[in-house]
Amino acid sequence: MQGLWRINQRIGQWRAMRVIRQALQVAYPFILVMTLISAIGQSCLAANGFFFRIYHIGAWLPGLTLWRQAFQVMGLVVNNVVAVMIAFTTAYFLARAYHRNGLAVGLLSALAFLTLNVNYDMLDQTRRSGGQFVENNLGPQGIFLGILVGLFIGWLASWLLKRLAGWHWFMQFTLTGRVAWLLVVVMVLTVAIGYGMSWLTTGGLNGLVYQATRAMISNPGHQGVMILAVTAFNNLLWWLGLIGPVSLAGNSSVTALQNLATAVQHDSVWNLPHPITLHTLGDAYANFGGAGMTLALIIAIWLGSTHAHYRRIANQTFLPNLVNLNEATLLGLPVLYNPILLIPFIAAPTVNILLAWCAITWKWVPPMAYPMPRTTPGPLMAYMGTGGDWRALALSIVCLAVSVLIYLPFVRLLNQDPQPEEEERDDHAA
Amino acid sequence: MRRKWLWGIIALVVTLGIFFPSTAWMHGRVTHYRSNYRTPLNPTILVPGSSASQDRFDALITQLRKETKTAHSVLKVKVATNGQLSYTGSIRRGDNQPFIVVAFENNHDGYDNINKQAQWLNLAFKDLVKTYHFNHFNALGHSNGGLILSVFLEKYFAETKNVTIDRLMTIATPYNMESNSTTSRTAILNELVAGRKRLPKKLTVYSVAGTENYSSDGTVPANSVAQGKYVFQNQVAHYTQITVTGDNTTHSDLPQNKQIVLLIRQYLLQETLPSKDRYQNQPRLSRSEDGEPDEP
Repeated sequence: MQGLWRINQRIGQWRAMRVIRQALQVAYPFILVMTLISAIGQSCLAANGFFFRIYHIGAWLPGLTLWRQAFQVMGLVVNNVVAVMIAFTTAYFLARAYHRNGLAVGLLSALAFLTLNVNYDMLDQTRRSGGQFVENNLGPQGIFLGILVGLFIGWLASWLLKRLAGWHWFMQFTLTGRVAWLLVVVMVLTVAIGYGMSWLTTGGLNGLVYQATRAMISNPGHQGVMILAVTAFNNLLWWLGLIGPVSLAGNSSVTALQNLATAVQHDSVWNLPHPITLHTLGDAYANFGGAGMTLALIIAIWLGSTHAHYRRIANQTFLPNLVNLNEATLLGLPVLYNPILLIPFIAAPTVNILLAWCAITWKWVPPMAYPMPRTTPGPLMAYMGTGGDWRALALSIVCLAVSVLIYLPFVRLLNQDPQPEEEERDDHAA
Repeated sequence: MRRKWLWGIIALVVTLGIFFPSTAWMHGRVTHYRSNYRTPLNPTILVPGSSASQDRFDALITQLRKETKTAHSVLKVKVATNGQLSYTGSIRRGDNQPFIVVAFENNHDGYDNINKQAQWLNLAFKDLVKTYHFNHFNALGHSNGGLILSVFLEKYFAETKNVTIDRLMTIATPYNMESNSTTSRTAILNELVAGRKRLPKKLTVYSVAGTENYSSDGTVPANSVAQGKYVFQNQVAHYTQITVTGDNTTHSDLPQNKQIVLLIRQYLLQETLPSKDRYQNQPRLSRSEDGEPDEP
């Protein structure tokens, strides 16, 4: 454990790591608000939202359409530019670390990120489709690429500014001229990359990354081992900021439909044709709060953390986690790029899938068959999906407890972390 | 310490406030799934008219197989007068739209016989549902077969829970027997009209009449077929009357009449007909409609 702590300290010293943490910290309040809005929108207002269904909100809330639209609009605003903000903040803090003009470099980086996500389909007169940008990539999906672009542009711009400082003709420019020249260089570079990419994929650079990962881990089949590997790999990607290449929450796959048909016909959830699938294991028992069992992380923080910052974020993001939206927790703590939390982040779901796998194979619990809303609170998912089997509820609670126990030592380890004060102090600096 | 208690109580209340409504909703969902579930197996039950055997529809089925290029399998059931069932043929595995022909040893005409045959149909039907586990089906009755099916739907169908009938097509079914009258009702029509409230509310009915001349197909008067409206109209979801004229419209030719085969494909089996079949009945476009002037 102490070895792990030392590794954490060493990695924490890396400039890139410090920069990423600072960048995520600045972006966190925006993401928090966005997540709260989409948590309410998706669980209380959407037609297939969990609270919408169980409290029959549609029946008594006046002006439902208006509410829905308002929440949708508010969600869109922040949701669709999160990655741009991160590209900006990452480059900003990196340039400041190099003692360069942070704002200019940050803006350069945001522009570069947008250039990489231009919708090249739009230029084609014959099949004009979509907006100017590939909007999907500017939201949480694009966080990984945003960090990457931010680091690269932040480094490149700072390096160029430093190297070119020796050139007499360059230094005769004012700041305006220097930034303008940099912009030209960066634009040429990113347009070249983006245009090249457009031959390969319509989704921008980000689309390429997602296509590749999706191809790697799609269709895990029925074998428990494959399901374990896919879940672990998927969680690793989440940890890297590649949020949701594989949506583990899938009700509509063929196997799920066949399971449902059998359950309905025989009036029982036992003896389904496909008891072991990603859906019956992962969705039901290893997705509390979202990827990585973050609901357990929050409970572990409540139980074991003395860290005011962590406790604050746990309180703030509990509600979204209850309905399986954990982006705010991942970016706020941050879990992303945190080597200590990586271990339980992958281990907890894996252990849960193992537990569920054994329990289902040995017929202790039935697999879930009835489709449930994506926003169903994690511990209730299996209980409700099996049509109210109390053994499934018991297993869910066991899974939650086990996950909390897995997280707890790592959360305690993080107590040694010095309290990050820059969060408040940076207010005026940023 | 008091704060901790307070938080504990709040957490408990919230948990229960989520748990109980969600359990209630879940039970609703499960029932919903169960009641709305439709088996992939969706057989069509064919009932021949009086004096016809279980082989009555062979020509029709051959025609359908040829046209649709799907090998609908055929199961034939014959019900003896003592209620014993004898099966020939089989439902092929993987065939979700098989035909099941139900015929009767006593296949005579007449009010009493038709009522008995409806009872026998019920026996066969219950056995079929038990064996093949379908929960919805379509039905086709030729001539008195349509009467047998109607009586069955009114009197006995409700005995089998959780099975629904989607569509019923009757071909030249004499709802008023051989009577050509539009005012006086025979016993069977009186019985059907009296029991019409028990017909399934979501049923769609097509009643097809064939006419050789302006009044009859040679056996069944067109007026008798038309009396079906007093049974179905305003009782089932949709009731459609179709009259077919032209070649092959004598009473016994109707099941293999080309137009009626198309109607069966289109309405009963809900096929998407290729356009050449769909427009078969329609006149060729005249030149003027083609956009060219009539006179050169």
